[in-house]
Amino acid sequence: MKKLTLIILLVFCVSIAVNAQDFAYGKWTYEEMGMKKYNKDTSAHAVVLNEYGNAKITVVSSDNIRLVYEYHVRIKIFDENGFKQGTVEIPLYIGNEVGEEADDITAVTMYTDANGAVKTEELDPSKIFKVQENKNHTNVKFAMPGLRNGCVIEYKYKITSPYWDSFHDWQFQSDIPKIHSEYEAHIPGFWTYNAVLRGELKLDKSVSDLEQECFSTHGAKSDCSHLIFGMNNIPAFVEEDYMTAPKNFIAAVYFELSEFTNPYTGIHAKVAKEWTDVDYQLKKDDYFGGQIKKKDQLRDRITPVIAGKTDDMDKAKAVYAYMQKTIKWNDYYSFTSPDGIRKALDKHTGMAGDINLTLVSALNAAGINTEAVLLSTREHGIVNKLYPVITEFNYVIAKANIGDKSYLLDATDPLLSFGILPLRCLNDQGRVMSLDKPSYWIDITNPQTQSSTHTLTLALQENGKLKGTLINYFKGYAAYVERKAIKKFNTTDEYVENLDEKLTKVKITKSAINNIDSLDMPLTETYEVEIDAFDNLNHNKLSFNPFIFGRIITNPFKLADRTYPVDWGMPSETRFILNMKLPEGYIVENPPQNGGLVMPRNAGRFAIAYDGSGSSFTFSHVIQFNKSVYESAEYPFLKELYNKIILSEKTEMVFKKKI
Amino acid sequence: MRGILTLLFLLAASSSISAQNNYDVSLIPKNLLPYASVVVRNSEETVEVKAPDNTIYHTKEAVTVLNKNGDELARIAIWHNKSMTIKFIKGVVYNSFGIPISKFSESDFDDVSATDGFSLFEDTRIKHFLPAVTDYPYTIEYECERHSKQSLNLGNWRPSQTKGMAVERSSLNFICKPDFNIRYKEINIPQKAIINTNAAGLKTYYWELNNMKAIKDEPYSPNPDIYLSSIKIAPEKFMYEGINGSFTNWNELGKWIYDKLLLNRDQLSGETIAHIRDLTIDIADPKEKARKIYEYMQQKTHYVSVQVGIGGYQPFTAADVDKLSYGDCKALVNYTQALLKLANIPSWYCVVEAGNNKISMLNDFASMDQGDHVILCIPFKNDTTWLECTNQKMPFGFLGDFTDDRTVLACTPEGGKLLHTPKYTAQNNLQARRASFIINDVGELSGNMETLFKGVQYDNREGVINESVTEQIKSLKKTYPINNLEIEKFNFSQDKSLQPVTTESIKLTARDYASVSEGKVYFMINPVNRTERAPREVRNRLNPVYINEGYTDEDEINYTLPKGYRLEKMPLNITITKPFGNYKATMILNGDQLVYKRQIQLVDGNYSKDTYQDLVDFYRNVLEADNYSVTLVKNN
Repeated sequence: MKKLTLIILLVFCVSIAVNAQDFAYGKWTYEEMGMKKYNKDTSAHAVVLNEYGNAKITVVSSDNIRLVYEYHVRIKIFDENGFKQGTVEIPLYIGNEVGEEADDITAVTMYTDANGAVKTEELDPSKIFKVQENKNHTNVKFAMPGLRNGCVIEYKYKITSPYWDSFHDWQFQSDIPKIHSEYEAHIPGFWTYNAVLRGELKLDKSVSDLEQECFSTHGAKSDCSHLIFGMNNIPAFVEEDYMTAPKNFIAAVYFELSEFTNPYTGIHAKVAKEWTDVDYQLKKDDYFGGQIKKKDQLRDRITPVIAGKTDDMDKAKAVYAYMQKTIKWNDYYSFTSPDGIRKALDKHTGMAGDINLTLVSALNAAGINTEAVLLSTREHGIVNKLYPVITEFNYVIAKANIGDKSYLLDATDPLLSFGILPLRCLNDQGRVMSLDKPSYWIDITNPQTQSSTHTLTLALQENGKLKGTLINYFKGYAAYVERKAIKKFNTTDEYVENLDEKLTKVKITKSAINNIDSLDMPLTETYEVEIDAFDNLNHNKLSFNPFIFGRIITNPFKLADRTYPVDWGMPSETRFILNMKLPEGYIVENPPQNGGLVMPRNAGRFAIAYDGSGSSFTFSHVIQFNKSVYESAEYPFLKELYNKIILSEKTEMVFKKKI
Repeated sequence: MRGILTLLFLLAASSSISAQNNYDVSLIPKNLLPYASVVVRNSEETVEVKAPDNTIYHTKEAVTVLNKNGDELARIAIWHNKSMTIKFIKGVVYNSFGIPISKFSESDFDDVSATDGFSLFEDTRIKHFLPAVTDYPYTIEYECERHSKQSLNLGNWRPSQTKGMAVERSSLNFICKPDFNIRYKEINIPQKAIINTNAAGLKTYYWELNNMKAIKDEPYSPNPDIYLSSIKIAPEKFMYEGINGSFTNWNELGKWIYDKLLLNRDQLSGETIAHIRDLTIDIADPKEKARKIYEYMQQKTHYVSVQVGIGGYQPFTAADVDKLSYGDCKALVNYTQALLKLANIPSWYCVVEAGNNKISMLNDFASMDQGDHVILCIPFKNDTTWLECTNQKMPFGFLGDFTDDRTVLACTPEGGKLLHTPKYTAQNNLQARRASFIINDVGELSGNMETLFKGVQYDNREGVINESVTEQIKSLKKTYPINNLEIEKFNFSQDKSLQPVTTESIKLTARDYASVSEGKVYFMINPVNRTERAPREVRNRLNPVYINEGYTDEDEINYTLPKGYRLEKMPLNITITKPFGNYKATMILNGDQLVYKRQIQLVDGNYSKDTYQDLVDFYRNVLEADNYSVTLVKNN
């Protein structure tokens, strides 16, 4: 797991002053204009020729302290597929009173006309659109004028932000390659940030020096640390299937505020230096610890829920089930409850933080020792373990400690069984925040699995049809997925009808689905089926492929090489068992041989087994993936495992009448 | 990804007729429950045209949500913009017994931009809200009033439009002054309009529908416009963004569009005029001139959607496009038209409903809301040519399945004309493949394959044809369901003449394509064009069968097999002929040469609903034949 993401804390010692400088605007070169392709990546439709960013905390004309960020880029566009680089969107966050502002937008397209002369087309400011997407998000958008194959576009803008606590991050890597990218930060001594480099690419330039008295407001003065980061020849980032958040792998520098001295009052605040500081802050935070502590206000609601229950496990399950159906999740992620859990309870709706902090509090109210676990969802990326960065978390779940075991719980989805987490949560590690102990890391992925067993018991009839039963048995996460699929229909009858309509050659004559609402039990589906296998039995030989359902035909892994790990979130197991009874006098001419394939260190396996006597036989087939995450080095084995599965599923059995 | 021109008018409605307010769930008629996750208990919409620049939309609606699947169907979404303003929204939530449990108002709604995801700019916004209720069933009742400054689009009332929704009662009440004339079109409305004069002396038109069951998904159904109930209303005299107009037919509407939205937007700079003259000076044939100009436009511009100018109806000027090199469909068509005019080639701006589903303008009912895209028509004598102007790669005169075979409105100086775009027949839409493969004695497949794509299948590879080699290989590996497929060499070429053809050639290998064990060899006869699934059966089908686009696929594969084997099973030999299509697959083994031939053809058109089971059976047979597995056994 360690190899997953490379996160390096950048440590600076003051060195010789080196100046970073923005490149000149609108100054084209014949070399850039004449470029036909990017030699280091000839597949690129566009390449960033140069990119420069500059961020500083400063006092603006309104006498307010602002984070001023300037961005400037020049991009070569080779063909139409690169034209999307010419549509620019600047996202702004607008709070209730103040918000980010974008201005000083200038843009120009440079191109060579039919006569070989270089022409320029400036962006008309009236063609810049500002769209309020919703309450807090506004986009400033424009399309570059005069785009054509081979043109060079260039634009710059400035964002003035009141949110200096989130210093601008810098992404070196994007979906197109870059020749040069450089970022400069000016941070007055009143603020201290931690800077972290992610991804496997190395910085070509990393400099820091001191700028004297660069910041002053109302008599308060300070020097600035002046940081410069640069990279050259940055390859495009290409996503692969079954990978986790691109953020884990994209080369970028992130900043996190660690200390801050108010320039006006001189009051010093440690924002996040050690986990002990974070623990202390979160515990007294109104939106977090303050909510968890409110177990008294939940006691009235919880008492009837656990009435008559003596066992802790029963109590915990009752409280969990109660929370699942009491507050509806509004699809927002959060690890705090800004409006308070009381409001969420009254309104019956809330964010993940509202729901799961209520759950923590309610379980404690029921006498179950429960802690909150901060985590980052899969698409949000992996959290660094070097020092606490609170904004790297975006979700919270509950950890109920019962006896000597603990259970991870998320009450946002009423179909999740006790102890099963949705896939979005299965991401590396989470930080356990308890009210009376120091916080600590736990693995989120460990306990959860998904398994399904499909048992087909068939008898071949004289009319060529196969008759019998199919029993599907789902456990763990697999049961959750199947329940979700069934619940998409208004009734189970409608679900079965749909299944029957979709199956070719298979008729469902009777069905029973058990434990659809008993979430702690495995889900079982029993179908009586009739399969149109053969027209009649008047043949010497009958070929039969036992993979009537869900046969795998092509390999999901098609790449020759894999750069990033394959991350499925959890181990899995799928079993298929066929019990077949042939009419008297029939035998299997080519019984499948027992065998299979095991990946190194038993990371996964596939096995087939055949056991027959007379006209009856049992055939079974198991596919098992024992890990959640497979490193790129394991990729060839994963690919070969699938290849073997496909080969074995291709083979047909031949039924023959004994002469 | 191309231009959307219309503003969709979600009709609002009203409550002039008082109704019972008992939302007890047990009162829902039992026959409305199957396949329903929501039931519209009562919907009353009133549209009142007070003056041509003042229309009031009043909606009152109560929806019972039966289970979690119904939540999103019950979300209240109210569309508004500069000229359609919300006066109020309020509502009440009831439990399953019909007892009020909470109230909500406009302040509970989120206001978001309604951009379609690809437009740079649109001024449409949506206010939306879904009360959070944890106990099912529950009922949401709301009332809303909106004021509109225009009377060109008076709406398209569709009481039930999605699957999972049953309707107990729904009504539309249209009110206007006695001198405000309207035309209306009733589609699948059993009870005709009740026309009256109310106490205030205003004209009223009233429609009501009761007890409509929830629709179930039925594959191969016609366009919903054909089988759902709806009412379209169009004004005779109207006001739109300060512009007056009137129309009673397509000719007059086309004339208004031409005069008020398009006229005099074609001026170009002297430089461009000179450039076009130079470009075409040596060409005599007007069609060749047009091709030259179209290709110039294609390399000069690209598509960016910006919906401004008279409510999104008026194109940018040609001079603007000339300068910016981008525009939406209207702007690019207007620009191309202006360029063609410089070469004395007249052309028509044509409004069309775009998309894979062929939706035509209604012959007998003119209204502004029937198209969402614009294309250009050049009426050469006996040789009408159509141009899609938002695509840089499309061959001259080719429309593809985005706008083919449908009725469109041409806006000419003489007024509007309904025209029909070209149809590509099942024979035209041809994919023809020839392959020569070797399967060796360890099961490896290797060989060459060439595929031609014609008609609407011409753009089957459009998504990857300009991609990088790595992306193209990735895409080909996903296209062909061959395990362990490796592409050794490949090439795409395109012939962009009037009957365009795309050609794909591939040299490939795939280890373990055949599985070899105990003297037997197993492999799938059809590695490249297998039907993966048949359409589902539908019990008690209601809709007729509709095949939107016909096509023909032909595959011929010559296999060279390992020597010394014979077939174990009966060889594949199947022919199916149906009114809607045919299929033929054969294999012949001759020594070590195995020839596999497959042809499938689907013929577009309308068929009776009883045909459906036939279609399912057809596909099931095709599925089985396509997945035929060859078993070879070693000669002793």
